[in-house]
Amino acid sequence: MQIEQLQIFEIDNPHQVSSVEVGQHFYWQIGNLQVHAQVLITSWVVIALLIALPVVATRNLQTIPTGLQNFIEYVLEFIRDLTRTQMGEEEYRPWVPFIGTMFLSIFVSNWSGALLPWRVIQLPHGELAAPTNDINTTVALALLTSVAYFYAGLHKRGFSYFGKYIQPTPVLLPINILEDFTKPLSLSFRLFGNILADELVVAVLVSLVPLIVPVPMMLLGLFTSAIQALISATLAAAYIGESMEGHH
Amino acid sequence: MRSISEIFAPLSYWVSAAGISLNTDIFEINLINLILVLSILFYYGKGVLISLLENRERTISNTIRDAEERYTEATEKLHKARIRLQHAEIKADEIRISGLAQMDKERQDLVDAADNDLNGSEDSKNNAIRFEKQRAIEQVRQQVSRLASQRALESLNSCMTNQLHMQLIDYHIGMLRSMSNK
Repeated sequence: MQIEQLQIFEIDNPHQVSSVEVGQHFYWQIGNLQVHAQVLITSWVVIALLIALPVVATRNLQTIPTGLQNFIEYVLEFIRDLTRTQMGEEEYRPWVPFIGTMFLSIFVSNWSGALLPWRVIQLPHGELAAPTNDINTTVALALLTSVAYFYAGLHKRGFSYFGKYIQPTPVLLPINILEDFTKPLSLSFRLFGNILADELVVAVLVSLVPLIVPVPMMLLGLFTSAIQALISATLAAAYIGESMEGHH
Repeated sequence: MRSISEIFAPLSYWVSAAGISLNTDIFEINLINLILVLSILFYYGKGVLISLLENRERTISNTIRDAEERYTEATEKLHKARIRLQHAEIKADEIRISGLAQMDKERQDLVDAADNDLNGSEDSKNNAIRFEKQRAIEQVRQQVSRLASQRALESLNSCMTNQLHMQLIDYHIGMLRSMSNK
């Protein structure tokens, strides 16, 4: 969907109507595959941020934390509480890094997409935005969650894990099998839809009224993207906790 | 933090070769909104975040301080209890020693009393023995004197005649007369 510029007498508009390019990707060729380079570039920026922050904050560790160390300790406690609420007291410990990674990567991706001025860098095709506005990213995260809860169930209960498909009654077997497919589907589409839709709305509003008016929408977008990160992490923890419980 | 253009200036040849370029128009438009959003975020979010973090810091320092206070209290109590234990041990030793001494003294007293009894009974035994011995000696003496007088009488009776008897009586009268004359 490209809003065309009216070119009458080839007048160059001082105000360039902003274009929204959906579906246009910046491709890189790696071997036989074509990858979406814009997602890779923004993902690298997110990774750099997420690595730099703890490294800087844990420089001078003190018993009574101050400043940045206090902040990341607070974040860690938040993630730990989240995991503990979903998975119970005994077995939440090993999964805190995984849930923390999910939460933080999605959160920083979404907020970096919404807050950083990516439009400064103009690519030949496509544009830089949040890495989670690409369905490939969100499907990858959802599949990771799927693999995680399968692994958790199998590791904890062995092959009796597959007994959960006939709980509580064998009549529900097809629904339980279907659930294994709908869980990653819903996770991926929820995140993808939210982020892409917010970006599109903001872009359309900017193209209509460039100043002030998009601001409430951007704030709402920040709020919903944060909620989406929280939801993804919570659901991941809930699925893992659910597959680990049982008669244990 | 360096500005964006500085990052890309040395790489400009690479950048333009790859088709990436720096956009400065939309730069203005959306950047204003972004700055607005960021300022609102910081303005409201900073207060909340700072109060949260300060709360957390205060709770942590309070907890640490409480724990340290309890630790010093506990060590003091331990110290005092140790001192009391020492005193109690010393008293216990004293009591034990005095008890032992008393036990010894009583034993000694019993032994002494027994010794005294023993000595007393020995004395009485000796006395009785001596008394019996003397009685026996007396008896033997009496026996011997009786026997002697008996034998004397027998011998007198055996060799005494009437004439000899008359001579003896005259002799004794004459001796008695001479004695009374003196």
